[in-house]
Amino acid sequence: MAANFWESTQRRHWQFSRPRLDELRKKLEEEESNLVQMYPLPQLRHLSIYFNQQIARLGKRLGVRQQAMATAQLYIRRFYSKVEIRRTNPYLVIATAVYLACKMEESPHHIRLVVSEGRTLWPDFFSSDTSKVGECEFFLISEMSSQMIVHHPYRSLTALQGTFSLTQEESALAWSIINDHYMTDLPLLYAPHIIALMAILLALVLRPNQTGVQSASGAANSTAHAVHAALNAVSQPKSWSPEKQAGGPRTKVQRLANWLAESNIDIEGIVDCTQEMISFYEVQEQYNEKLTREQINRFVKARGLDK
Amino acid sequence: MFPPRRPAFHPTDRGIAPNVGYQSKVRVIDRYKVIGFISSGTYGRVYKAVGRQNQTGEFAIKKFKPDKEGEQIQYTGISQSAVREMALCSELSHPNVIKLIEIILEDKCIFMVFEYAEHDLLQIVHHHTQPTRHPIPPPTVKSIMFQLLNGCQYLHSNWVLHRDLKPANIMVTSSGEVKIGDLGLARLFNKPLHSLFSGDKVVVTIWYRAPELLLGSRHYTPAIDMWAIGCIFAELLSLRPIFKGEEAKMDSKKTVPFQRNQMQKIVEIMGLPRKEQWPHLVNMPEYAQLQTLPTSSHNKSGGSNLEKWYYSTINSHSATSVMSSNSSLGAEGYKLLSGLLEYDPEKRLTAQQALQHPFFSTGDKVSANCFEGMKMEYPHRRVSQDDNDIRTSSLPGTKRSGLPDDSRPMKRMKE
Repeated sequence: MAANFWESTQRRHWQFSRPRLDELRKKLEEEESNLVQMYPLPQLRHLSIYFNQQIARLGKRLGVRQQAMATAQLYIRRFYSKVEIRRTNPYLVIATAVYLACKMEESPHHIRLVVSEGRTLWPDFFSSDTSKVGECEFFLISEMSSQMIVHHPYRSLTALQGTFSLTQEESALAWSIINDHYMTDLPLLYAPHIIALMAILLALVLRPNQTGVQSASGAANSTAHAVHAALNAVSQPKSWSPEKQAGGPRTKVQRLANWLAESNIDIEGIVDCTQEMISFYEVQEQYNEKLTREQINRFVKARGLDK
Repeated sequence: MFPPRRPAFHPTDRGIAPNVGYQSKVRVIDRYKVIGFISSGTYGRVYKAVGRQNQTGEFAIKKFKPDKEGEQIQYTGISQSAVREMALCSELSHPNVIKLIEIILEDKCIFMVFEYAEHDLLQIVHHHTQPTRHPIPPPTVKSIMFQLLNGCQYLHSNWVLHRDLKPANIMVTSSGEVKIGDLGLARLFNKPLHSLFSGDKVVVTIWYRAPELLLGSRHYTPAIDMWAIGCIFAELLSLRPIFKGEEAKMDSKKTVPFQRNQMQKIVEIMGLPRKEQWPHLVNMPEYAQLQTLPTSSHNKSGGSNLEKWYYSTINSHSATSVMSSNSSLGAEGYKLLSGLLEYDPEKRLTAQQALQHPFFSTGDKVSANCFEGMKMEYPHRRVSQDDNDIRTSSLPGTKRSGLPDDSRPMKRMKE
């Protein structure tokens, strides 16, 4: 449960296989096929980037810590795995998820404050009626079956940074990769420690002293290449000969590879997560905020969901 | 009324269509038949129910009081403590922690459905004072303590502090299983974003409140639950609260007063805490207040009278009662009690340590059924019929119908 991921509701009810997750979403779209046809939306990863931006804006105004924002993002992703987005006002869902996540993360904000900040950020799409957030909270909790305690990879990262002698820069980069993974489906697919190990691996390969994540994603090909080299090392630790490799990060990657080889950890999973993140960074390049915003705003207005 | 056909536009709108609002997928009255009212509190009301859809067993449904604005019930946001209780109860699963069946969010109200427990420790202790005091049999005490510690160990190993352990919150099923209940004040302590102190300033019913809390500690730990368990153990032996202080009320500035009387009650039995046994004592915010406590006449030495209290308690019943005394609990019982009622929270027994205490491995084997071998049966929980409609909001002034609430016994008795 709370301290034990293996017995947690997160593992028992909120980790899916990719086919299962696809199936859930396909079912939602089929049930609302008219809505889906009438209101086309950008791909889910672009929607997630937009939601992340809105959460960050609201979070900044409220002074919300990163972990509470991560919790809110996970609530939204769970919710939209059960409810078709076009049936909801995403701005209301975002504000409600932040409001609820802050309570769960022990840094609550008054509902009136959340609503007034929401009004300021999205004046044309957000009601000043606090009971709307109160009602949406019921909807959110009900769809999540009251399973609101979530496990984040941050704790694993903190616990492991010593094991792999991560520098401050490497830790910070791994931390920001974890922040980014909330814009993908990874939190619904993999355990937090797998995500943390992916973030460490990627951070070591990307080498923060040379490139930030943003610029690295610009050169996705070379990043992908470097990651694949590292992944080969991870999946075949025996073939990795230390003599031929020099430099800190290389030896750290090797240490990570050896450590993984001796553990029972799902290396395939880490590989899959790494590929997902790289492809996310590629997709992020094509993100068009204006288009995404317009497509969301269109169905909210047309269906009167902002009332 | 709903139109027989949906309008031609928006043919796909179902469930929560725009502007229709949230609708629960299940309805409380479709799933449960309420058979009576159990109790009420600041949070709301508890009802006893049975299933209507072939669910086995009986249930206790806790209905949270909705906030009212005027006569209209409004969505005002769920209280943080209700959110905590809902989240924690959904996550926890242990034979010694009360089991949540489901939560139904319906008509702006929250219904938490739990497994039903026929008894609680307050009621069991009370029963042993009627008509004359007769001790709870030692095997029962032992089993209750073991199960209580076992549940608490589970909570603590999962980073959950209960923070309100008291006899009324410890349930016992008719098959003798002990279940820790009411997690309304419980919370996770693994990674608090703010200090645990800042959230809710006062925690734990005063008689069970640990000395470090009374002395103003802001940094508290699972040890506060262990002190409360020590107090409960003492109460199972003596059939009355061991430290029955009077609560000092919060003043108009909402500052938390020093609970002088409660601390005094502890000092009378335990002696004054000394910095030699409790190094951090001097850092306690209310440390200076300790010096102003009157030294009781029989405790000038400053030493503890707990041993004396223990032996006189476990032997006392033998003289006045035809039933067997508790003396068989012996020296190990005292050691366990003093380990739980240890002043220094860092030295106080943890739940894990207490479970491994020789008290449980010597003498009679601990039974998983605390009623094993008992000939008598405790009276059933009183269920009143004056409010069977779970859907209507609570009637004002309806108090717990069964036993008095242990936090305000005198007042309630007079009512």
